[in-house]
Amino acid sequence: MKKRTGVFVCHCGINIAGTVDVKKVADKLGKHKAVAHSEDYVYMCSDPGQNLITNAIKEHKLDSIVVSCCSPTLHEKTFQNAAKAGGINEFQSEIANIREQCSWVHKDKEKATIKAEKITRSAVERVNKNESLEPISFPVTRRAMVIGAGIAGIQAALDMANTGYEVVLVEKNPSIGGHMIQLSETFPTLDCSQCILSPKMVEVSKHENIKLLTYSEVQEISGYVGNFNVKIKKNPTFVDPDKCTLCDECTKVCPVLTSDEFDLGLTGRRAIYMPFPQAIPATYTLDDKHCPGLLPIACGKCADVCDPGAIDYDMKPEIIEEEVGAIVIATGFDLYEKEEMGEYGSGKYPDVLDGLQFERLCSASGPTQGEVLRPSDHKVPKEVVFIQCSGSRDPEQHCAYCSKICCMYTAKHAMLYKHHVPDGQAYIFYIDIRSGGKGYEEFVQRAVEEDGVVYLRGKVSKIFEYNGKIRVWGVDTLAGKDIEIDADMVVLAQAMRPSKDADKLAKLLKISIDKDGFLQEAHPKLRPVESVTAGMFLAGAAQAPKDIPEAVAQASGAAAKALAILSQENLFHSPQVAKSIPNLCTGCGMCVDVCPYDALSLKNGKVEVNEVLCEGCGTCSATCLRAAIEVKNITPYQIYEMINASLGG
Amino acid sequence: MVNLDDLKKEALNLLKDEKVKYIIGYTEGSNGTSAAPAFIKNPEDTDKLVWNPGCFHNLTRFLRDEKKRKAREKHPDERPVGIVVKGCDSRAINVLLQEKYIKRDDVFILGVSCESTGVIDEKKVAKKLKGKKAQKIEWDTNRNLVVTTEDGTTKIPADEVLAERCVECPVHSPVVYDIFFGDKIKRTTDAQFKSVEKIENLSQKEKWDFWKKQFDKCIRCYACRSVCPMCYCDECVVDTISFAVTADTTAEEKAQRIKWIEKSPTPSETFIYHIIRAIHLAGRCIDCGECERVCPLDIPIRFLNKKLEKEAKSLFDYEVGFDPDQLSLVSSFKDEDPEDFIR
Amino acid sequence: MAEEFEPKIVAFLCKWCSSAGSDLAGVSRMQYPPNVVPITVMCSGSVSPLYILSAFNKGADGVLVSGCHPGDCHYIKGNYYARRRIALVKELMEYIGLEPDRFQMSWVSAAEGIKYTKIIKDFVNILKPLGPQTNLRRSQ
Repeated sequence: MKKRTGVFVCHCGINIAGTVDVKKVADKLGKHKAVAHSEDYVYMCSDPGQNLITNAIKEHKLDSIVVSCCSPTLHEKTFQNAAKAGGINEFQSEIANIREQCSWVHKDKEKATIKAEKITRSAVERVNKNESLEPISFPVTRRAMVIGAGIAGIQAALDMANTGYEVVLVEKNPSIGGHMIQLSETFPTLDCSQCILSPKMVEVSKHENIKLLTYSEVQEISGYVGNFNVKIKKNPTFVDPDKCTLCDECTKVCPVLTSDEFDLGLTGRRAIYMPFPQAIPATYTLDDKHCPGLLPIACGKCADVCDPGAIDYDMKPEIIEEEVGAIVIATGFDLYEKEEMGEYGSGKYPDVLDGLQFERLCSASGPTQGEVLRPSDHKVPKEVVFIQCSGSRDPEQHCAYCSKICCMYTAKHAMLYKHHVPDGQAYIFYIDIRSGGKGYEEFVQRAVEEDGVVYLRGKVSKIFEYNGKIRVWGVDTLAGKDIEIDADMVVLAQAMRPSKDADKLAKLLKISIDKDGFLQEAHPKLRPVESVTAGMFLAGAAQAPKDIPEAVAQASGAAAKALAILSQENLFHSPQVAKSIPNLCTGCGMCVDVCPYDALSLKNGKVEVNEVLCEGCGTCSATCLRAAIEVKNITPYQIYEMINASLGG
Repeated sequence: MVNLDDLKKEALNLLKDEKVKYIIGYTEGSNGTSAAPAFIKNPEDTDKLVWNPGCFHNLTRFLRDEKKRKAREKHPDERPVGIVVKGCDSRAINVLLQEKYIKRDDVFILGVSCESTGVIDEKKVAKKLKGKKAQKIEWDTNRNLVVTTEDGTTKIPADEVLAERCVECPVHSPVVYDIFFGDKIKRTTDAQFKSVEKIENLSQKEKWDFWKKQFDKCIRCYACRSVCPMCYCDECVVDTISFAVTADTTAEEKAQRIKWIEKSPTPSETFIYHIIRAIHLAGRCIDCGECERVCPLDIPIRFLNKKLEKEAKSLFDYEVGFDPDQLSLVSSFKDEDPEDFIR
Repeated sequence: MAEEFEPKIVAFLCKWCSSAGSDLAGVSRMQYPPNVVPITVMCSGSVSPLYILSAFNKGADGVLVSGCHPGDCHYIKGNYYARRRIALVKELMEYIGLEPDRFQMSWVSAAEGIKYTKIIKDFVNILKPLGPQTNLRRSQ
């Protein structure tokens, strides 16, 4: 079954013809047994050039074409369209790159011509074994899911919902808002975090296109881009939000006192609680880990005082199934635990705080109503030491990476402290100041110039309690001397790390994580909001440490990417994908292991290709010991023939 | 010491209780030194089982036939097959499990420890006996081979007759089993890759001359491939269409088979055959040495596989056949894999 | 006088980095010897050892496999698998006494036209004194 291939050699003006004898190439290839027609032309990509191809296909009844011209990155599509216009399948067109890889890099005309012949012959051999393929088309479930409802998740959900698509927003905590709602003010403008975030939270709760699932976690996922099926477990809150009137009688009778997550342990809360006054959804949650017993026999005080009868001890976890076409993952960050910092007291000194605790301390709604007081004795601290890079940039002991936001928020902390305690002194130990960003450098300068913050370039080696103070031993490398400060309070700019259990979620979603546990983007430069799995996008600090504007920007980027899927009724996918040869497959599963896209699976002891997920990289085919899997139109047989042609054989 | 009676008793019980379909073990061979593989179905035949220094066959190779037979049966007997394995053979089972070729409950493993010795190299023993025929061989407790011939018994130190792979063996006792026989002796070897190092130390030309001489002998009988428990592919990539053509094989599939190498044993083709085979066994070969043992032309095929075993260990910290759940050598990587050879 | 030996090189270039890098060499009009014929594959991870051996078998004097730098693979990790697989092939070829210099692997990014040019130039210079590769070449 020989093909009737047409070979079209382009002069590209003198770009090719100046070095390669194009007529000779066309003549030589014309003698190939599978070539039914060959010619050369000055500009194949021009309209007349394309028409020449289209007409030649019809006139010479060609079933495939090879165009010897420039790199396929430039005109592959052009000539595929010319093939289509001639009435043949677009995958029956191949490019032989005789410009970038030949005429432009050689001067010897004779040798370049021979090489161009080989390259063209190689393409002829390839196209001779090409299959005609049609793009794979499949329908899209036109709604989205966002996992994580911090600022990134909220932004992504709102962006998509405002475009008219339904969004399922899943949050594991009882309220949305993430870490941003815990912050007091935000850099570099010092506007109040709650003031700018809570309107967005309310918008989420009221949005007709957003289905909010709080206190919920993704449990299972199947499907692929355009068609995911997600099982979500909604944990019982034991409080019916429709009946609850927010009278707050329940917390008054609850006998349990446990540490408050929202205030990071600086205050306490009851077993039945509302995470914070602006919580969305605005309702109470009964925390069954701390409640003495869900049996009314054990306690039952809250149910007794609840007039509307909103408390239901028999509430069970609920499994909710959602069909979505795209998923945005915005699981955010947690701080690197103070307990990990042996050199800074392992979290055992009450007056050594982490960045988020200090935020709560400065917050008007915080445990001290916005007064900066020492947790140990509620005195106003007069000397505060801020330590940057606490856990960051320390590959030996902690995290190797830069957490990116600490330089800025530490400057902010020092400033806020000075605004609260004008006669106090703030010291900041730093390695470098990284203040890249709009208005950021000016902000740091303002801390130094207006608020008299003392920046000390060096690391703190040790802190310990001494005479009711925290003694800080550090070094000022610029002055070249050791520093000892007896501080009233120390604030550690703890590193950002991926939120707890993000790795488990990543495993569930089959997206990869990087060496530090952050979600891995598809390409570090060119695909920064996409995960490696088609249809799953990344937003916010789950992907890498970032500040609020960056998280919001990435969220909008992720939303736009997801919308690009949702806005289509059908998705198309390149059909140049892997194909298995069942007779040869023994089901060893090595190809399944190497596939970066989870496109392969074993069924009844044979490999199966999910053509929608496959990107056609061919790593499976090189891994298979039995040649039982190959990529269409670049099969081992084709490569074998191409090798032969390339060597002039 | 391995108590043969224990082995027989367990085998008897397994068959009597119908726990296994049959047992693949060793029985007395015909020439006094070599044992022979035995397939025992009747409980009374368990008495024919032997365990001696001539049990060098890797019986896991027969699991391939078992799998094929089972696939043909309409109502296959789902009971496991009992199989006697040594340390090396047990690692083959792990690799087969890793590659999902068999399932753990397809086999009931009777693991036998090699203790302080191993199996013999028949050729070394024959040389020692100078033409005399052995009637019986066994190890004594002092690492000597006790050979009984018509002239009486002689003792030969183990190190003089052990198969080379046993000298280089790092395990000596099964790593996966259902019943264990003998003593679990921890023996380490500092000579795991001695044979490889010998060749590595040659100059490039000497290496080529060595292998050229070896491969020139090759008649491409494929005995090495047939005996290998890992060469279980239905069709080998070096063959054009051969035995894997079934009723379902389409003309297109046949047409898509490539002739990577010619069938005739010319030097270039033979070299490529052996390189491909070694590459395909990288991270899978457990050094049972069967390929080399069955080679009618005494080509030291083991040295090739052993080289890649060494590189897998030194470059990628990968050891074969200890963990059926690990990813295979070539379907895994580490960020820190060496790349000093890459420009 | 006999003509100078011109080695034949087959270069397996991944589509996204190395082939793009060789395109850049072209766009920048860098010059290198015409001994190399490129075969663009999707990913260096798709280069089977069979391809390499087949190239030698069909008369290549040198074979180059080139992919994206670690971490830059268009398909995320294909080049890592390639790195491991090719390390094994290289070790084995050397062990058998084949000239190890005949087989090279490189990382060439889409921006490294200069590097690609240098690799080809160097490769040709290394191969010239070695003469034709006959060890694995199928006799005609």
